Amino acid sequence: MRSAFLLDLAQCIGCEACTIACRVGNELPQGVRYIQISERIRGEFPDLVGGFDNHRCYHCTDAACVNVCPSGALFQEDGLTRVNWDACTGCEYCVSSCPYDVPVMNDGVATKCDGCRDTVNAGGTPWCVETCPSDALQFGPREEIVAEAHRRVDRIRDKYPEAQVYGESQAGGLGVLVVSPEDPARMGLPAAPEVPTAAAVWQEAVKPASFFVTTLAAVGAGVLGVIARRNHLRELAHLHGDGGGEESGGEHGHGGGDGALPGGGDGPDPHGAAAAEGPGSADPVRTDDEVER
Amino acid sequence: MARADLQITRRQFLKAGAATGAGGAAAASGLGGTQAFAATSEDAWYRQGEIETTFNVCDMCPWHCGIIVHTVDGEVRKIDGNPNDPKARGQLCPRGQGGVSFMNDPDRLQAPMVRTGERGEGKFQEVSWEQALDLIAQELNKIKERSGPEALAVFGHNAGDWWWADHFAQAWGTPNAAKPSSALCVSPREEAAELTFGFPIGGYEPVDWANLETVVLIGTHIGEDARNTKMQDLAELHGRGGQIIVVDPRFSSAATKADHWLPIKPGTDTALLLAWMHVFIEEDIYNHRFIENWTTGFEQLAEHVADKTPEWAAEITDLSAEQIRESARAMADTAPQTVIVPGRHVSWYGNDTQRMRAVYMLNVVMGAYGCEGCLHFNEQPYLDDYSLPPYQVEGAAGGCAADPDDDDDGELLGELADGPTGKTRADGVQERFLRGPVALQELIEPMISGEPYRIEGLICYATNLLHSVPKTERTIEALKELELFVAIDVLPMEHIAYADIVLPEATYLERYDDLYALAHKTPYIALREPAVEPMYDTRPGWWIAKELGERVGLEQYFPWDDIEEYLNTRLRSVGSDLDDLRSRGGIIVQEGRPFFEDFEGESPFTTPSGKVELYCDRLAEHGQDPVPEFEPVEEPPEGFFRLLYGRHPVHTFAKTQNTPELADLYPENELWINVDAARDLGFADGDRVVLENQDGVTDGPIKLKATQRIRRDAVYMVHGFGHANPKLSQAYTKGASDNRLQSSYALDPICGAAGLRVNFVRLESEA
Repeated sequence: MRSAFLLDLAQCIGCEACTIACRVGNELPQGVRYIQISERIRGEFPDLVGGFDNHRCYHCTDAACVNVCPSGALFQEDGLTRVNWDACTGCEYCVSSCPYDVPVMNDGVATKCDGCRDTVNAGGTPWCVETCPSDALQFGPREEIVAEAHRRVDRIRDKYPEAQVYGESQAGGLGVLVVSPEDPARMGLPAAPEVPTAAAVWQEAVKPASFFVTTLAAVGAGVLGVIARRNHLRELAHLHGDGGGEESGGEHGHGGGDGALPGGGDGPDPHGAAAAEGPGSADPVRTDDEVER
Repeated sequence: MARADLQITRRQFLKAGAATGAGGAAAASGLGGTQAFAATSEDAWYRQGEIETTFNVCDMCPWHCGIIVHTVDGEVRKIDGNPNDPKARGQLCPRGQGGVSFMNDPDRLQAPMVRTGERGEGKFQEVSWEQALDLIAQELNKIKERSGPEALAVFGHNAGDWWWADHFAQAWGTPNAAKPSSALCVSPREEAAELTFGFPIGGYEPVDWANLETVVLIGTHIGEDARNTKMQDLAELHGRGGQIIVVDPRFSSAATKADHWLPIKPGTDTALLLAWMHVFIEEDIYNHRFIENWTTGFEQLAEHVADKTPEWAAEITDLSAEQIRESARAMADTAPQTVIVPGRHVSWYGNDTQRMRAVYMLNVVMGAYGCEGCLHFNEQPYLDDYSLPPYQVEGAAGGCAADPDDDDDGELLGELADGPTGKTRADGVQERFLRGPVALQELIEPMISGEPYRIEGLICYATNLLHSVPKTERTIEALKELELFVAIDVLPMEHIAYADIVLPEATYLERYDDLYALAHKTPYIALREPAVEPMYDTRPGWWIAKELGERVGLEQYFPWDDIEEYLNTRLRSVGSDLDDLRSRGGIIVQEGRPFFEDFEGESPFTTPSGKVELYCDRLAEHGQDPVPEFEPVEEPPEGFFRLLYGRHPVHTFAKTQNTPELADLYPENELWINVDAARDLGFADGDRVVLENQDGVTDGPIKLKATQRIRRDAVYMVHGFGHANPKLSQAYTKGASDNRLQSSYALDPICGAAGLRVNFVRLESEA
């Protein structure tokens, strides 16, 4: 089933309950936030408009981070972009290629929202959605979320004539459908996010020598990489699976992460989507011109 | 996908998690019931063992949401809103989510301490509870023998203050018990309601949001003031296309959702309210039926506002006459499903009871009371008190809403309760102001001057004295004069350094408290029970009160064996007990009488006339305006800005700035200043400045937030920062303290509240 989040920026009042619920529920290490709220207000006193930017992973279908990840640490499942922290080699390609500037490095490992994979698989709701007091977040089957986003836009159009749904088509369709009260570009959401392919990133952004080494490490030494990193990964205790890969069941074949390791047998081919030529820009598109704080 | 379904899903999920932890394998249905169980994350907290669930009432702010606390292996791991709770409805605000971090703050007070250094030095020696309590009892008895029990003041704030500012104080026999939640917060609102309707409207603004069509917020900054229910209500209204009108000198978070934002000049709200009433009456768009059936004094009101035209108010408020007319008509369009929310902290300018009366009167002019989508009537739930002998003095602090003078005889000035040696309240009530709960800030001076008599001892329960009471220098001087100063708290707040004896309390997650009997559209009773044993050598407030009471001869007021017996006894009056309450999800909801039809023809109003008194004879008799007048407030001196203050969604009062999880999100406050005003002074966004107020008091440095979101004549900061105790490792020296810069206040002549927005600051570069 393709899942998705609804993010209603017309409703968000910037309280940051989601940010904290996510941090506490997922036991994120100090300094790591999967959701960053900032104000996005423009105009001159007293003619002001705007609201709050809820910056988070948008779970692209054509996901730059997945495309460029040489180790399979980033992969797709249920329409969302997941993370297997154990497999990350710290190459930072995802950090530099994400059109939304989402993944961050923590203790040598890239991390970002994984859609509360474990809690949702166990029948729960993402922590941010559960607590939101402003009815700005929902989670469910993507088609239901898309429909809800359109319902909401229709309902608020009198007040917000430019209101629209963002994320239906961008980057192959996002796993976060945004109800934008105005032109999404003004909310920091590019109409056409640039999704580089692995080939482009590797050619343009990575020196051949380090590329060779990193790729070797990723493809050939997944297990060694896991062992070497296990200690600092304890900090990211919330989701890494370190059991035997053969135990991970599930029809998608990468439950918990080990299955997603290269060579694990049933993981996705992280490079499969990377063969085609892409736009090749690694520059983050998001601009913060209008952010005041 | 309804929210209720999501909540159920969550509970099932947590059960599944627990089962996995215990049994090693489990299956849980996915959201749509189709997903196979695929989780292998064995390190997640919810797989570390059996998940224990306890019910509690959040204490991260005074809104009192019901919460469910998830504990694994004796550690609190996650807190969720209680779906059964009429306020939380399954959701929780950022502060509530930070409760785990609050409890685990390593800076907490950990053991009873006795002062060894000078007052203020912060030097203490740890002692046993036995030693600390014996010492306090001995000193309390000395005060009683020497000067009578009235020479002890008791301050209390937040959940748990009942044991001290109400119960202990009344049993001991002092009328000098006070809560900052009255005179530093809501008492203008409550006294205005007493005068207008005959009863306080209660601590939780009674608005029937579910059926509301237009909300008017005057200074109420929902979203930054993150009261969970209010955020949900405002969001729900906004989501269904309801109208939002915001009156605020700042483009607040709520203003970003508004249809009309009125950036009013601070201190002129009453002029706007009078002009709005003028428009309603002039254009004959007021609610005739309500006025005829339920009010007295409409003629006088109409006459009073006849010349209060929008043009008159425009001059005063710095709004346009057109804006005032248009917003009034917008309110009339949906009236009576239009409510001006009474707000909470309303002690702004010293004339606040009159402004709050104007707020109520405008609601009444629209007929927005006692029907769906209007203000509704609030009722306390039925719940018996534990049977006790009569108190030594009745009605001490009286809480946010109560007026201890009020004996329902219709007289404005009731008979004041005396203490056992015949002394009544030392706060100057009936001399310097007319009535209302004890004014906390007025008990400071008697500690220094001895007038009308000297307050020699203070028990301070969770009241952040140096971050809430204006004139902090005077407060420090008073604390140094005391013969006995006992501080009970969770964290080493600044005033702790002046205490003789410090008692560390267990947090709300580690203790029982009295039952929460909350007035609401559906009145209800909520349980606070401990999720874990108290950390360190801390104890619950109820235990400390009982132990101390028994040591000072008040054992007849503490007859219960333990807290469970106390709670079970009270619960029996509603046919319940602790086990039953737990089985009901921690909440007992009762029927309320929110609307007129629930009163079966009787008037719900309890003024002398039995009606809403638009013209108040009782105020006239005591030399106060019977209908609110606009009184200009002092203008900022040349080069100064009016100092406004408010909330940030992740913080409460001066209480949470040290909570690691919350401090991480908003570590220091900023000074909002209009970007043009900053530029004129040569400052830019992000600069650090020192603030000097009109009395030469300085504070800071504080970072500038140069923004279009505020008027040029005022600056704004989030309250509660600038902590000066180095023992608060996160909050120490972060940002500036609005409270230290409040070296002046304006006393409300009706209710004794301290108006705090009468201070001005100028900016200087950081040295």
